[in-house]
Amino acid sequence: MKWQNSALAAVLLAVGLAAAPQIGIAAETLKLGLSLPLSGNGSTWGLGMKWAAEAAAKQINSGGGIKADGKIYTLEVLAYDNKYNTADGTKVAQTLFSRDNVDFVVGVMGTGPTQALQAIAERRDKLIFTTAWGRNVKGPEHPLTFTQAHTSSESMPELFGYIKKEHPNAKTVALINPNDATGKAVEADARAFWSKIGMNVVMSDFFERDTTAFQSVATKIVQAKPDIVDASSGPPDIAGQIFKELRTQGWKGIQVIAAGGSAATLTKTAGEAADGTYMGLVVDFASPAATETQRRLNGEAEKVLGEPLNPVHVSTWDATMALKAGIEKANSLDPKKVADALRTVVFESSYGPAAFGGAETYGIAEQILVPVTVAAVRNGKIVELARVKPKELEERLKVKQ
Amino acid sequence: MALYAQLFLNTVQIGSVYMLFSLGLTIIFGVMRVVNFAHGELFAAAALLVAALVPAATAHLGVPIVISYALSIVAAMVAVSLLGAVLYQFGFRLYLRDMTGSFILSLGFLLLLQGVLVEIFTGVPRVVPPISEETMVFLGGRVTVQRLVTCAAALVLATSVIGLIKYTNLGMALRAVSEDYEAAMLQGIKYGRIAFVGFLVGVNLAAAAGCLIAPLFTVTPFMGADYLVRAFIIVIIGGLGSISGTVLASFVVALLDTLGGFYFDPTTTTIAMFALVMLLLVLRPQGLMGRSD
Amino acid sequence: MNARTSSTALVVLAAAILGYAAYRPTSFAVTVVTWITVRSIVAASMRFVMLIGEINVASIGFVGMGAYASGLATASWHWPILAALLLGAVVAAASAAVFGFITLRTRGAYFLLVGFSFTEVMRLLYTQVEAIGGNDGIVGIFPPTWLDRWFPALLIGTGMTVLYVLYRIERSMLGKLFLAVRGNERIVEAAGISVLGVKTLCLVIASFMVGIAGGLHAHAANVISPGDFGFVVAAMVLAYVKIGGEGHILGAVIGATVLTIVEQYLRGFGALEHALFGAAIVAAMLFFAEGLWGLVHRILDHVAIPPAAARKPQ
Repeated sequence: MKWQNSALAAVLLAVGLAAAPQIGIAAETLKLGLSLPLSGNGSTWGLGMKWAAEAAAKQINSGGGIKADGKIYTLEVLAYDNKYNTADGTKVAQTLFSRDNVDFVVGVMGTGPTQALQAIAERRDKLIFTTAWGRNVKGPEHPLTFTQAHTSSESMPELFGYIKKEHPNAKTVALINPNDATGKAVEADARAFWSKIGMNVVMSDFFERDTTAFQSVATKIVQAKPDIVDASSGPPDIAGQIFKELRTQGWKGIQVIAAGGSAATLTKTAGEAADGTYMGLVVDFASPAATETQRRLNGEAEKVLGEPLNPVHVSTWDATMALKAGIEKANSLDPKKVADALRTVVFESSYGPAAFGGAETYGIAEQILVPVTVAAVRNGKIVELARVKPKELEERLKVKQ
Repeated sequence: MALYAQLFLNTVQIGSVYMLFSLGLTIIFGVMRVVNFAHGELFAAAALLVAALVPAATAHLGVPIVISYALSIVAAMVAVSLLGAVLYQFGFRLYLRDMTGSFILSLGFLLLLQGVLVEIFTGVPRVVPPISEETMVFLGGRVTVQRLVTCAAALVLATSVIGLIKYTNLGMALRAVSEDYEAAMLQGIKYGRIAFVGFLVGVNLAAAAGCLIAPLFTVTPFMGADYLVRAFIIVIIGGLGSISGTVLASFVVALLDTLGGFYFDPTTTTIAMFALVMLLLVLRPQGLMGRSD
Repeated sequence: MNARTSSTALVVLAAAILGYAAYRPTSFAVTVVTWITVRSIVAASMRFVMLIGEINVASIGFVGMGAYASGLATASWHWPILAALLLGAVVAAASAAVFGFITLRTRGAYFLLVGFSFTEVMRLLYTQVEAIGGNDGIVGIFPPTWLDRWFPALLIGTGMTVLYVLYRIERSMLGKLFLAVRGNERIVEAAGISVLGVKTLCLVIASFMVGIAGGLHAHAANVISPGDFGFVVAAMVLAYVKIGGEGHILGAVIGATVLTIVEQYLRGFGALEHALFGAAIVAAMLFFAEGLWGLVHRILDHVAIPPAAARKPQ
């Protein structure tokens, strides 16, 4: 294995060096960039997002490409590994913008890589879509950044409100999050939105992503005796282990993962202890409530990725579709014009008709508007409890008709 | 009382896994003077194999889960031993007692193996179906029966390895080589062969730790790296190459993890632990129980 | 090829790279050269500490200090960039003086592991301090607008100067003293020279240089975060040194260059990228233990032999 790999490395290096001068743009191909974790922690997100973007590009290409300015463009997707950190995120950004001359990025995973990409993109007027949760990644000072999936401000009020209605006696909540940029951002939001509905946050802890034992965290939670435990920003495998340990140590209460992730991973890791867990940002794409496109993508994803589709994966499909609508409406490939078009266009996302809005919350329309779901695990399966179309989206659709 | 019993149980659970993992690392360092960064990948490989084989064996052979678990462990141990032998014969053999060289070589193996494991098993977390879900109460603290059995197995395994090293000829040779390999060679011990045996013992300990831990936690190709950092702390506190020191340090670090995680938070605990390690290295580089050279 | 022609060739090559960087500062090739430059400084500094026989994993901790200090200076305090870069270097060197004085009493595996712990402590501390951005790090570290166009050339030129200075020190009496410490500490001690002092000085010089590298990196990347300065980076840098070849400072540069280019071509490979990178390291360790520099040297010697042999009087 080792020998073959070394030989392969040598050959690849040689081929790569030989190919170096030939980097150029084929006419009428529109390159779309992606900055994703493709190795290490987080690669399950990244690989899914890459797959969904490629699926969208394939569908658009076979449907005749994108028309703008009297030309037809076919799409090519370029995904690079940001390793979930800022330094590699910077390298990916420079590779995308300086080497590949990409003008549109249809997916960035990770708050650090997003900030790194933004720093360069904004100086060169490139349009980017990101899944990053940090509130500081969007706003009027970031006119070319769009959020391609829901963030706290969209999902938490619906989810927490639903839980409060179901369990009016619950008074206290404990939060656990990973110690990283995303974890900190989500914790701040979760704290704010729980407090807003009158809940008392009795404990909040951060763990290192590479922690090997969760017994101590569990013991600490058990001692704090909260009614609700919110493992806000997952990751689902770690949340699953914590819930399982909580069950072992005798705690029984309401389990929440506000920023969801994969219900399949949660049930796999927590077993019976996953039952009853409320999840935001989780959609059962196999259910009848999902659209036909989503059911089809879900089936293919299970085959290719080995796990069901989740909203983070599908966000690159939606971004690519939105970009097509934006370019065609602007009838231009100028990122600034496309951005302006995106703020008003209604496009066909995997969820059905969707748009970008959120000007009230963020000061500028940059947030994707798709249905918000409240889901919970029942007997090892994810069940959708509520699916709410954002009011803003309803109004936009009405105007269109 | 219940709280203290719980904290004690937490410590024992964490400590016994740390012990198995770190023992392998320290034996390899003692015999070969090699800091093996790829140790965690061997551990992860065993855990991944068990996680992949148990469901397959249960489905295809139609045997009860305990049997398929046992079969999977055997298969995983054999496979990882073979992998270890390859790493030694085509790599470490050339860098015995060369700290820098072996460090970088093992780093190369770390990246290579991790990449290959991700290719084969993907990054999606795997879970071995639990053999028993029963919970036991001990002085008010709670623990699953399966965890307790695992701890017991780890302790038995560690004791037998220590026994092997203390009381057999092979063990004596291993110890002689760790203490002064030139003198050992003058006594007629073939260093190359002993180094190979020592490496295999270490690899098998890593594999055993992986097999035991597989049903307790989620299994991914990245789990090895997570444990490796803790194991380094343990091996330093215990004294590089010291076996009894490593056993003690495993439980000391597990206790610190438990108390720190409970009374403070995990990040502060880790920072404090590293600070302690630096202090210890400067003041008492031979570790808690190690002898000075 | 004799020493003079090779150094002339080097100077010409350096001038050509600088000229190109000044001419086309935004081209991707120049961007890659800036990465290589930063990594070369760090690798050469790591090799510099190897002169006294130690592996300095803490080096990345000092890169981080340089990056944070100079990044804060420009982004938050609006210092002029050169002052900011100098601050980064001084902070790194001063911390290294304290760190070295305490920890260089240990050696070998122990010093390596102290450095490993130090780097991890620093990384975790950065995440805990909100004033320097916590986990988010510092965003928006830019060179002043007037300098923007010239920054890549400035970075590369500074890097070359740093490498040259390190080379001169290695060739000076001080460099010989470092090697003497590696060879036999007791002889140095017997000559009335403090071994600990010499070792600390070596570490301080190397840390000053990586402090500069950290500052350059911060201003080139525009964003820094704690995760950029973990011990894995130290491992990579060590790989540059080893694969490039320890024998000469240019080995570190060659290692950084080759691996950066390899990495660039593997970027789209996902997990396989790691595997191939690992395979490259293993292959280098097994097949050319003296590194690429040793390989180049052997080839050059081979080329040089016929004329030399011809001149030999029969």
